[in-house]
Amino acid sequence: MVAVPDRPLDAPLSDWAWSDLVWEDADTFRVHTDIYTSAAVFDAEMRAIFERGWVFVAHESQIPRPGDYRTATIGTQPVVVSRHEDGGIYVLLNRCRHRGTVVCRAEVGHSNYFRCPYHNWSYANNGDLVGVAMASGYPDDFDKGEWGLVRAPRVGSYRGLVFASLAPDGPTLDEHLAPITRYVDWWFERSPAGAITVLPTAHKYPYPGNWKWQAENGHDGYHGNYVHESWQRLLARAGEAPVAEIRKFRADGCTRGFRNGHGLLERPGGLNPAASWTGRMMAKYPEYGEALRSRHSDEEIEEISSRRNIFVFPNLYLFDTQLRVINPIAVDRTEVQLYVYALDGVPDALNRGRYRAHERFYGPSGFGSPDDVEIFVSNQTGVRARGVEWALLSRGMHREREGPDGEVIGHSTDEAPVRALYREWRRCMSS
Amino acid sequence: MHELVTAAEPAADRAAAAPGAALTRDEAEALIYRECRLLDQLDLEEWLTLFTEDGLYWLPIADGEPEAAADAVSIVYDDATRRGERVFRTLHTPVLDQNPRSRTVHLAGNVEVAGRDERGDTRVLCSQIIAELRPGGQGQLGLNATRLFAARCEYRLRPVRDAWRISLKKVLLLDADQPLYNLTFVL
Repeated sequence: MVAVPDRPLDAPLSDWAWSDLVWEDADTFRVHTDIYTSAAVFDAEMRAIFERGWVFVAHESQIPRPGDYRTATIGTQPVVVSRHEDGGIYVLLNRCRHRGTVVCRAEVGHSNYFRCPYHNWSYANNGDLVGVAMASGYPDDFDKGEWGLVRAPRVGSYRGLVFASLAPDGPTLDEHLAPITRYVDWWFERSPAGAITVLPTAHKYPYPGNWKWQAENGHDGYHGNYVHESWQRLLARAGEAPVAEIRKFRADGCTRGFRNGHGLLERPGGLNPAASWTGRMMAKYPEYGEALRSRHSDEEIEEISSRRNIFVFPNLYLFDTQLRVINPIAVDRTEVQLYVYALDGVPDALNRGRYRAHERFYGPSGFGSPDDVEIFVSNQTGVRARGVEWALLSRGMHREREGPDGEVIGHSTDEAPVRALYREWRRCMSS
Repeated sequence: MHELVTAAEPAADRAAAAPGAALTRDEAEALIYRECRLLDQLDLEEWLTLFTEDGLYWLPIADGEPEAAADAVSIVYDDATRRGERVFRTLHTPVLDQNPRSRTVHLAGNVEVAGRDERGDTRVLCSQIIAELRPGGQGQLGLNATRLFAARCEYRLRPVRDAWRISLKKVLLLDADQPLYNLTFVL
């Protein structure tokens, strides 16, 4: 799709439709840097992307029993994700219908009721209004059925990943995820049970920058040799691989950009222990290898063992050790949560090794993540410089090809996935 | 930064550090103050020598015992190898997140000697306030602001040869379970 607005590149923001802020022609792909700095753009994103589409809110293992709940946000709106005694998961706007007070202040907990602290209205954990304090102040025909907590009109789950949409209609969750389902399935199949359990504690980091810096970076295969040169030297010192070998590995694989804004960065897998983490684990823990072989062919294991960072538009990444959730707070404020998970059905020692590997690279004190965050804030500082209104996301446009599912496949250092993200961004912002 | 002039390392942490000896509060304070000074001077190679070979440097997300943290995720869970890597990356690699470097001031107080753990190591409790600043150019986001961290700390100390050494340094930040920006300096 080609979208070239017919006005000068340096026209003021007020002259542009939101959808024009992504500018694409045959060989150039640009985004207007006001998308990182304009509060008006941010507000429009919340309406058009986060409040209309499917947003990740929790993993089912985080609320396993009836009565369990977690609070979350959809865009900037507070919600409660609650498991009711009927077994269903309800996503409730965290706002008392009386005067707007949040009915749940905790991050996580267990309760069959949410009670508003202001005037004591009480709601069941499916949102039903069950109690109004001093009810004689309302007429006898006051219909409590109309004054329950507002439920997200659509909630869906894929292999335990819970998504909610604040829009009553639109594409179904299956339709939204369809382009990447095959890769999400392979990602889950690293567990012989095909499932994960999220740990109770998470890494979290804020940064003074726009949410899209993090969204763009998770499947960016171009920055590693530079932003993570420190990490590469550390691996070389540890005898794990010389820098030249790491760089060759990082050049292997590909990027993929999909419909609906999804994308991924992929490193080749294989059964050879030298080739992939899964291959190494299968050799180190024979029972793990046997469990995978009993479920999958060698060809399938090759796919399963490919290391992929999978972006599920707009706020979720699936990483090797973590579910990464991107929470936009304001145009220049973001919080990121890294929910580390256990692979179900693997030896404890294997998971323990994954946790140590996670701590080593990720989180606020890791040897990798903070270098990325340093870039996000450097970007946010840099785009204050004006007169240069556009950022360039064309890398690899001249050499990309179409894949089997209609996705765009690029070199591992190319920007195919981030272009997919912004094509969907443009589509959402135009409708 | 001001260099502290010290003719020799203080001797207090060496006194009476024989196997089975009782740790005095003076000795505990001497060791903790020395550690604070080494960190504030960025003398991290020397800091590494304060630990026993099996020593653990631990920043939990939730309070608890260090053994249980093996099956959880912590902010930092550094054995000797990982501590060595942390110091190496900070001092000898092109890190972005410590360029510019953090300046710190560690303040330790409320020091109590609190019995022994099951290995016979002496437990020392204290509180620490750590001020941190990364200086940079005008208008650079993420820099130029002093941040304050408060923590309840637990040390476990063991006599090794003639000196008290750290078998555990646990730093339970007040905001351990909150979103935390750049904690790449040694707390």
